[in-house]
Amino acid sequence: MCPKGSSVKGSLLLLLLMSSQLLSRSVESLPICPSGAVNCQVSLSDLFDRAVMLSHYIHSLSSEMFNEFDERYAQGRGFITKAINSCHTSSLSTPEDKEQAQQIRHEDLLNLVLRVLRSWNEPLYHLVTEVRSMQEAPDTILLKAMEIEEQNKRLLEGMEKIVGQVHPGDRENEVYSVWSGLPSLQMADEDTRLFAFYNLLHCLRRDSHKIDNYLKLLKCRLIHDSNC
Amino acid sequence: MDTLGPPSLYFREVCRTAGPTGMDLWQLLLTLALASSNDAFSQSEEPSGKPQYTKCRSPELETFSCYWTDDIYHGAKSPIKLLYKKRTDEEWKECPDYVSAGENSCYFNSSYTSIWTPYCIKLRNISHELEKRCFTVDEIVQPDPPIGLNWTLLNTSLTAIHADIQVRWGPPPNADVQKGWILLEYELQYKEINDTQWKKMELVRSTSVPVYSLRLDREYEIRVRSRQRTSEKFGEFSEILYVTFPQMSPVSECEEKINDFRFPWFLIIIFGILGLTVVLFVFILSKQQRIKLLILPPVPVPKIKGIDPDLLKKGKLEEVNTILASHDSYKPQFYNDDSWVEFIELDIDDPDEKAEESDTDRLLSSERQKSLNYLGAKDDDSGRTSCYEPDILETDLSAPASCDSTSDIAHSQRLPGTADLFCLEPKNEASPSTTPPPSGGLLSEGGQPRPLLPNGMESSSLAVHAHLSNQSSLANIDFYAQVSDITPAGSVVLSPGQKSKAGISQCDGHREASPCRGNFILDNTYFCEADAKKCVSVAPHAEPEPRTEPRFSPEDVYITTESLTTTAGSSGIAGGPSGAEMPVPDYTSIHIVQSPQGLVLNATALPVPDKEFLTSCGYVSTDQLNKIMP
Repeated sequence: MCPKGSSVKGSLLLLLLMSSQLLSRSVESLPICPSGAVNCQVSLSDLFDRAVMLSHYIHSLSSEMFNEFDERYAQGRGFITKAINSCHTSSLSTPEDKEQAQQIRHEDLLNLVLRVLRSWNEPLYHLVTEVRSMQEAPDTILLKAMEIEEQNKRLLEGMEKIVGQVHPGDRENEVYSVWSGLPSLQMADEDTRLFAFYNLLHCLRRDSHKIDNYLKLLKCRLIHDSNC
Repeated sequence: MDTLGPPSLYFREVCRTAGPTGMDLWQLLLTLALASSNDAFSQSEEPSGKPQYTKCRSPELETFSCYWTDDIYHGAKSPIKLLYKKRTDEEWKECPDYVSAGENSCYFNSSYTSIWTPYCIKLRNISHELEKRCFTVDEIVQPDPPIGLNWTLLNTSLTAIHADIQVRWGPPPNADVQKGWILLEYELQYKEINDTQWKKMELVRSTSVPVYSLRLDREYEIRVRSRQRTSEKFGEFSEILYVTFPQMSPVSECEEKINDFRFPWFLIIIFGILGLTVVLFVFILSKQQRIKLLILPPVPVPKIKGIDPDLLKKGKLEEVNTILASHDSYKPQFYNDDSWVEFIELDIDDPDEKAEESDTDRLLSSERQKSLNYLGAKDDDSGRTSCYEPDILETDLSAPASCDSTSDIAHSQRLPGTADLFCLEPKNEASPSTTPPPSGGLLSEGGQPRPLLPNGMESSSLAVHAHLSNQSSLANIDFYAQVSDITPAGSVVLSPGQKSKAGISQCDGHREASPCRGNFILDNTYFCEADAKKCVSVAPHAEPEPRTEPRFSPEDVYITTESLTTTAGSSGIAGGPSGAEMPVPDYTSIHIVQSPQGLVLNATALPVPDKEFLTSCGYVSTDQLNKIMP
């Protein structure tokens, strides 16, 4: 189970390792447009490349985070067998398989992606806060959560740019699903609390995979003409 | 019967035993263990029909299948049903297809598959129902193996021993990589045919990869497997690709043998080391000094440049004096912090430092900025200068001639023969070197008393490289202090070098013919107290009284450290030195600050009964000595 009482040194070392790992893996953070450039037109191809990179990164982070959490806190609790509660983004009607994904128009798909991304802004923020306040807050999980939150914002920006280029002028209202899982994250009962975390991380992994897939599909469709 | 035999036997044995002793207990436990294992064994023989989950797998993120094992040994197989439920379903449904994926499997085609929806399945037969298992399809992706492996020769090495090949393959056919629905990465493994261990290569995202450095005379096996980029589980391996190179000519075998011949690095290294050792020993033992120096340079010892402590101890003043006399003065470093640190820092003189004015003028002037000057030639810290290079002494002796020309003003009053002794300038310098050292330090005095010239201010022309620490260290009694000037009156001018310190008493603004016979260089000259006393027979205000006796007013010469802060003008003598009989301590405290540019040194050591000049410091020039001695 979870080792108790890691020493300060150990956790610091772990932090260092994690941050170095994250840094080495993190997506290049240079702005697409140099500052001060007024008419910066980045090609759609570049935008999609970056978006796919980001979404892939987010998904791998959330996978790792979920696995770590699973190993650490969820063993023996049978979370997996409990009916996995629906994620708060389930209300958004996203395509559930390849045919549906192929039939949907790319504008709609882009909007869907935007909605999903927006829906995760708040949960990620609270995730970071709550993970911090966990007992023996695991540094690795916390770091990953923070990184995901950061990258999610970037991806959202990137997607908005893409939408602006693909079909400008069709700005829908900011639709997104509201997340109401905060109370369960703050429950006093540890079991309930951990299950809420488990659920949230599972949903995060699932949604990040969804977005990753949609973006890769869109990239192949729009940039490479369905011939990746 | 048979199955029951062994257990019953054991049980009988157990029953025979009397009471539960230790051994009996142990036997009982053993028996129970055996019995239970027997039971298990016997159970498996019965047609239990208890299935086990194996795995569920989706090869292309469009369909998935679940597999199980049914370890029914013998007896009638009871039919197993797989029930599944999506999250959104209310009831359990049965598997739509038991056939397509093979035996003991359930296949969900694309119409039944929703990618990101959680599924739960459970197995059920007559007697048992397994606990449900839940998953989502995106978690169980394990692609099919790649197909169509082939290889092409890239190039061969010049020796025709090794070659590089390019291996190509195609993605699994059911994975829709073209539309970007699933992205794969591949891992290639290869080995020689007779090997047991596969060598892994790095994951690649493309469908071709080069394999380098394969031997042409061996055969290889290659296989590839794939996985979804965001997953961890690999699919199955592809079929093995055999790589066989066309036969080479027999010549290559010879070349191979030659190439295989490993250069005898080991022997070469050993012999090389031996040879070097022999040469080293020859050198060392051959007593060739220069080569020995080259190979084993001497360890530098702490020292004052040019001054061999032995010289001082043995009282060889001449050498010491010559050394000091010929030393250049240097601009000292400015140490701000460590008042307690002594430095014997010898730097190259800054030519700019050696201003054109005389030392006296500099002393008198209020622009004393510089910190210490150092006497002595540049010390390169090698240690050799004091030990190995008599060059210094030679140069020092040869120095004097230029000193006369270079020094200004009152230096002219030097005694002719002693020019060099006090000529502490660098030969090529145009001016006397000293900028007075910043603060008072102790004047180091040699241990032995020296006779003094009665009327000559013969300084121990030891160019004491006095490093006076900075202002903060004024009160610090350092080991060395620098005499920067000697007035004609014979007073010693010690210069702390800092105006604010004002520790410099202007012994004498004028270089008059000193009763001490002025054979002194007014810069960088270190005067012992006794010497100075004897020499200074004149008040530092242009009183050229010839002094014939060793009497002097201390105020001209010595400055206390305490009174260093009191600035010029005061002719007060804080604490008189004890006079000619003053013993020569190892260091001298600065006794009086008389004027902004003068210091009175206070010899604070034990009194030496010698009334002669022997009590003075150890640094006395030869001529002084001669004069002193009757």
